[in-house]
This record gives sequence, C-alpha cells and structure tokens, in this order.
Amino acid sequence: MSLPAPLPDLRDAPMLARPWVTIVWDDPVNLMSYVAYVFRSYFAISAHEAERLMLQVHNNGRAVVATGNREEMERHVEAMHDYGLWATLARAEG
Amino acid sequence: MMRFVRDATGAVSAQFVPVEVELLRLAVSQLVGLLDAAASHALGASADPAVRRLLPDAYREDAEAAAEFRRFTADGILDRKERNARAVLASLGDDEYQGDDYPGGEDDGNEDESDRGDDVDDQPPVTIELDDAAVQSWLRTLTDLRLTLAERLELSSDGVQHLTGEEAPFLANVYEWLGMVQESLVHAIDV
Repeated sequence: MSLPAPLPDLRDAPMLARPWVTIVWDDPVNLMSYVAYVFRSYFAISAHEAERLMLQVHNNGRAVVATGNREEMERHVEAMHDYGLWATLARAEG
Repeated sequence: MMRFVRDATGAVSAQFVPVEVELLRLAVSQLVGLLDAAASHALGASADPAVRRLLPDAYREDAEAAAEFRRFTADGILDRKERNARAVLASLGDDEYQGDDYPGGEDDGNEDESDRGDDVDDQPPVTIELDDAAVQSWLRTLTDLRLTLAERLELSSDGVQHLTGEEAPFLANVYEWLGMVQESLVHAIDV
C-alpha cells in the first residue's frame, strides 16, 4: 500500500508532542516564604505541596511547577515574572 | 518598623517611623524611574543586569523564542510592575509625611510600646494600612526592589555580596530591611 501524499506534518500535533513545562529556578534573593506563598496562591495548590515545590527549588536549584501546552506555560512564566520569580519554559524531558 | 498584622476585618497594617517611609518612597520612586527607562527599549534584552533580572529569558536554550516572548510580554510586565510601584507610593501617602491625617491612622487603643516616651525621633510612627490589592502590589514591588538591589550589590548565586565601597553597607542594610518587611507581610497574610 502507498502512503498518502503529502505526509501530514505531525510535529505540532498535540497528541504526539511532548508537553511543555514551567520551571522555577533558585535565586539568592527571593524569600522561601514568599516563593511558597506564590506557588500556593497562583497555582491554587495546598500549602503542603507549595512548601514541597519551594524546597525543591531551594535544594535542587529548580523545580517543574506546571505541565501543559506551550501557551499555558508561557502564561505561567509571564505570571512568575510578574511575581519576580525566575521562571522559564521548555519541552518536558524524556 | 513594627511587623505587619492582620486584624479581624482582614485589613493588614504596620507602623513605620517616618524615616522608613521616606526611605521606601525614595527606593520605590527610583524603581519607577528604572522601569520607565526600561519600558522605552524593552524590545531587546536590556544592558542593565537589574532589568535583565526583572525580565529574564523565558527560554534558556532558544534565543529566538526568548526574544519573541520578550517582544510579546515585556511591555505588559513592565507596565504592571510600574503600576504596582505607584500603588505602593500611593499607600505611603503621595507627598510629604502626613502624620495624624493619614487615613489608616485610626487609633485602636493599642499603645503598649515600652519605648513610647523616649522621643528619639520627634515624629510619631505612621500606620500604613493595606487592602488586598495593595498587599499584592507591595509583595511584588518589594521583590522587584530586592532583585534590583541584589544586582547593585553584585550578589552572586550563593548570596555573597561583591560590591565594596562607601555605599555598600547602606545598600546592604536597605536590602536586609526590605527583606524583613516582606517576610513580615508574607507572614501576616499567609495563613
């Protein structure tokens, strides 16, 4: 059998693409209490989970704080920059 | 400065001595100037490390995507930062020290400070009262101020200060003090 021509471009197909992640990086300035507060209030997660993510940033130098499509992650990064946190987005690993 | 407290109605307030209010007003005014200057050439990454920290690259390994993100977001982020800073200035009282006329100065009868009679500074403390929106502006502006000062102090990623010279101790004190104010504010609201 022959393949349909032209081949569909699957690179941006949401079902096949790896998701994107929002990463928050450690910095020497932001207070641990403030970072935990930002996670809790912006991402609407429990205080416990916010604390865990904050410690991950603090101890590991970075933490993935959200996963989803690129547009969502860009929105999160912009919001983190509003808060003064150092955030980036990238393709999820793996 | 006395720590921020939240009363039963949810209002958050703290007392500052006038010299602290002046210091905050000066620092925030300078931040507004920096944000203004940055807004006029936000299309590219700024040469000022403080501005680069306020608008970090959103993509670490893709300069083109980082530039594109900056093109679409920098103006909005700078504008919101400036509006927050101006909201802080407004809550400090726009002009001169306002003394007893300050709207947040309602007396709650809580005058138990033991050093009240000392009169080291003739001017009484000023009560700064913040509503929810003002709290958010303060949290963000205190962060932006500390990020900016950290660049001026040449803090490395391990938190060690490399700036030397006459102004270094003063800037370091301001940096520490702003951190204390912010810590106090976070604790007052984070329950």
